[in-house]
Amino acid sequence: MRALYRSLLLMHPPAFRRRFAAEMLCIFDEAAATLGAFGLCLDALISLLRQWILRSGSWKLAAALLGAFLQVVAGGLFWLMLDRPPGDAGRPDLELAAMEWLLRFIVASVCAIIMLVFATSLWTRHFTRRRMHGDLR
Amino acid sequence: MKNEDLKSFLPLSPAVLHILLCLAGEPRHGYAIMQEVVRQSDGQYQLGPGTLYDNLQKLMDQGLVSEAPRPSADDDPRRRYYRLTPFGRRVLEADVARLKKVVREAGLRLKAPQPGRV
Repeated sequence: MRALYRSLLLMHPPAFRRRFAAEMLCIFDEAAATLGAFGLCLDALISLLRQWILRSGSWKLAAALLGAFLQVVAGGLFWLMLDRPPGDAGRPDLELAAMEWLLRFIVASVCAIIMLVFATSLWTRHFTRRRMHGDLR
Repeated sequence: MKNEDLKSFLPLSPAVLHILLCLAGEPRHGYAIMQEVVRQSDGQYQLGPGTLYDNLQKLMDQGLVSEAPRPSADDDPRRRYYRLTPFGRRVLEADVARLKKVVREAGLRLKAPQPGRV
């Protein structure tokens, strides 16, 4: 169990690991008998997810990827909706219009994702800076 | 430091409140903080190391807590001690004052007769 706990600590983001991993392992050595090794491993697993997803900023990338995935799915459905009836098959004007709509949709989606990630980064940076400097004068 | 600056930290989360309370008396290491939180809350609130160090990291970045020198040389070298900064103490005092108001308000409201009751 100690090896598992140590592995979970090693998987934490480098900054957190350098700062706290030795102490957390020290607590495991002292408290595993009273708090339970399994519970401590579960705590380390939750901490691992928290540090990577919430604290390291990877959630922004995850949100952008999820947004992109949703947009691609929506784009695919939109494309299916534009599917022509059998009688219109092969009509180049309809095909061109559908292609144009799809391209516009993709460009708008990509722009929306970029703007969302940019705005979120600016907001979190501003918030962190305000807390770090503004309030600690 | 203006009061408006302190307000942006309030209300403190239960974990942060307990950690700051633990450090208000003396510098402590991580495991001692965990044990003191259990004692303070009569065993109702338990902090895991993951939650503790996540909060300590935040508190140190915000300047509410800082690292303290190790009191004795024969202590486990892996242990690090933490203490409340003067700014952290002011934030804690502000939150305790807020909680006092909440308790006073709750006392008044719970004492007041409820409409429709005989």
